Amino acid sequence: MSDELKKIGEIVVRERMSRRKFLRGVGATGAGLALGPLLAACGDSTTTTTAGGTATTAAGETTTTVAATKGGSLRVGIVGGSAKDTLDPGRSSFEPDNAFVTQLYDGLMGLDTDFRLENRLAEAVEPNADASVWKIKLKSGLEWHDGKPVTAEDVVFSFQRTLDPADPLLGAPGLGGLEPNGIVKIDDSTVEFRLTKPNAIFAEGLAMRYNMIVPVGYDPAKPVGCGAFKLAEFRPGEQCSFTAFDGFWRGAPNISDLTIIEFADEAARVNAFLSDTVHAITQLPRAQVGVVEASAGHQILRAKTGAWQPFCMRIDLEPYSDVRVRQAFRLMVDREQMVEQAYAGYGWVANDMYSPFDPGYPVDLPQRAQDLEKAKALLKEAGYENLQVELITSDAIGGGVVAAAQVFAEQAKGAGVTVTVNKVDSGVMYGDQYLTWPFSQDFWYTRNYLSQAAVGTMPTAQWNETHWDDAEWLKLVEEAFRTGDETKRNELITAAATIEYERGGNIIWAFNDQIDAHSEKLTGLAPDKSGIPIGGFRFHNVSLA
Amino acid sequence: MSELPKVTDSNLVEPASASGGGAGSEWVATLRNAWSFNRTRIGVGIVVVIALLAVLGPVFAPHTPTEFVGAPYAKASGTALFGTDSLGRDVLTRVLYGGRTVLSLALAATIIGLFGGVTFGLIAGYARRWVDETVMRTLDVLLAFPQLVLVLLLISVVGPKLWLIVLMVGLSHAPRIARVTRAAALEISQRDFVKAAEALGESKLRILVAEILPNITSPLLVEFGLRLTYSIGLIAALSFLGFGLQPPAADWGLMINENRIGVSVQPWAVALPVMLIGVLTIGTNLIADGLGRALIGIERTGGES
Repeated sequence: MSDELKKIGEIVVRERMSRRKFLRGVGATGAGLALGPLLAACGDSTTTTTAGGTATTAAGETTTTVAATKGGSLRVGIVGGSAKDTLDPGRSSFEPDNAFVTQLYDGLMGLDTDFRLENRLAEAVEPNADASVWKIKLKSGLEWHDGKPVTAEDVVFSFQRTLDPADPLLGAPGLGGLEPNGIVKIDDSTVEFRLTKPNAIFAEGLAMRYNMIVPVGYDPAKPVGCGAFKLAEFRPGEQCSFTAFDGFWRGAPNISDLTIIEFADEAARVNAFLSDTVHAITQLPRAQVGVVEASAGHQILRAKTGAWQPFCMRIDLEPYSDVRVRQAFRLMVDREQMVEQAYAGYGWVANDMYSPFDPGYPVDLPQRAQDLEKAKALLKEAGYENLQVELITSDAIGGGVVAAAQVFAEQAKGAGVTVTVNKVDSGVMYGDQYLTWPFSQDFWYTRNYLSQAAVGTMPTAQWNETHWDDAEWLKLVEEAFRTGDETKRNELITAAATIEYERGGNIIWAFNDQIDAHSEKLTGLAPDKSGIPIGGFRFHNVSLA
Repeated sequence: MSELPKVTDSNLVEPASASGGGAGSEWVATLRNAWSFNRTRIGVGIVVVIALLAVLGPVFAPHTPTEFVGAPYAKASGTALFGTDSLGRDVLTRVLYGGRTVLSLALAATIIGLFGGVTFGLIAGYARRWVDETVMRTLDVLLAFPQLVLVLLLISVVGPKLWLIVLMVGLSHAPRIARVTRAAALEISQRDFVKAAEALGESKLRILVAEILPNITSPLLVEFGLRLTYSIGLIAALSFLGFGLQPPAADWGLMINENRIGVSVQPWAVALPVMLIGVLTIGTNLIADGLGRALIGIERTGGES
């Protein structure tokens, strides 16, 4: 009986994991990869790219050279995938895929650990005045794993492959305005992207994991990339091993080989780490933080991210169609308590707006706090006293979500609202009824405002949980997409975000921390704001003592 | 009337009158006999204590089951005698609240199983021939599935509803109970008093309910105790797998699931419900064992499931 039970439990858990990651991984989201980089961020670094206007500076890659130990075999434990694991960047949906392709390939652009755009294979990225033509110049001396040079033809091939009308890859939705015939080779190291419409955030699409570059004639079965590691052996659903690529454009990695091992079971992953079978693991359960901290030689890697798990109210359905109800619900939440109870303190309080790293994020709006009296008054005014609602939640959404639902139900009592928590299976959550729930929860990774709006809030968005449809807001956002000037664009973003702060359908109560763990022997890791585990799976710069 | 089968067990020979008086005294005797075993007394003691805990527990609970009394997985303290759970709620309070559902659902499921199993078993045992074959072979097919798999299969078709879980757990017991009932009914239906009732032209239903059933209550009593044990395990397992009550309800099975990830930090939140479920099943099993011994006078062998 107990074996039986365990097996079924495993099946159920695995099914949930894969369902969730599959369903939300497909399309522009990407489990783990934040595709909305901080465009033209703060201008505080030489690596900053300015889109839509001035020319882009060369990537002054920050190679922090500490006296790094050379050599060593790094073993990393990650969340388990399945036999469907892939090494094709254009199809990489799940955590294992993400971990693998990040080693093998690189993109024209990417994101640094502070969620700022950086040039990678590109030497320069230059948009024209209205951001409708983007000129990319490749770095010189770039090399594929097989020794051939990286050329403009490879770039053209990669994006044509992504945009193949018969079989578009996951990166296609992020390249708004680009058609296959708009990718033009200028010379051996220069490519021009001629868009059908201005797209001020096109560079964010170039930085997506899905849009990493592959060589002409690419075969996913024998993957050749130009990333820091070459493929040694790939066993889908089990593990993938790599050897260092000495010709990597940032310089040869410190470690000589790398094995990324998949663990279907959370407890097994943690135990493998505590027994030093692996040097690092992803997704440490919050409850285990204390255990790891108390254990000699092990430490936490905690990254503040812009990832969020909102409560979503459908603004086109009663009672949420009444803005006073939405405002009341936002006022019922004691955000500090929710972070403490549901996230065990591993998160930071949010203000009902997403994209906290966007330069246009309205930082001056007052932090919304619990106000039960005001909430009650608003509900009374709206004619919804003693309101009873159902909240759809699921473990499949992510860790802490069902917990947050229960905290919400408890806090709502204070305003006289009865919240019935309905915990459903992943198949139900992300099944036919997904995006139709009147009141539910969901999850999003770090993105910048316009990228997020494109996938989550615009009428054309694929995952508009709240059915947000606001003419005034849409005008601002559409204008922002057309605005090359950074300052002007940020003002538009601020105005749009403020509208959502005032009348939006999301309760955004916190941004959750990404918590991974690693051995003290492993140095050179930095927390990554995107929420991609273990410093964004960047292993080219780590060392093993 | 030709030859009757040889009767060996004097316990079962006693014919029942229409009012069931004779049979009634027979199962009372079984109960009395069972009580003479220490294991029965211990079992009853355990079950009574846990049942009282589950029923009266909420009265003594120091907090409400959903209020937050500390940080998640806080260690035992003055405010939370057994620490807090994954959300910072009092473990003791939730344990005191969490037994009712397990007990009541398991009891309901067992009664449903008994009802279904007895119905099929009586019909098969009395009707014999092709009815017997059809009913029993069909039930054999169901019997081939492990109980939990069968229940999960049925739930995955309809969805996890509480009433459905009770019904499904009950029905998954039915084939097993039917086998026992059929075996007992088969023998009783050959007795003189049944033949006499048939000769008097009593309806089949009346013969089944008033003549045969009262005479097989003792084995059914044992079966009830045994199935109750399995019901508790199954209901708790389904709760653990997330098919039972909805959070934030307090329920032992659900508690184990919610708090297992923190077991190395705060073991109480898992240990208490696990211990209570474990001890409860030991209790019901001891009772079933005592009844079984009283009934047949020999050691029960193995754990047929």
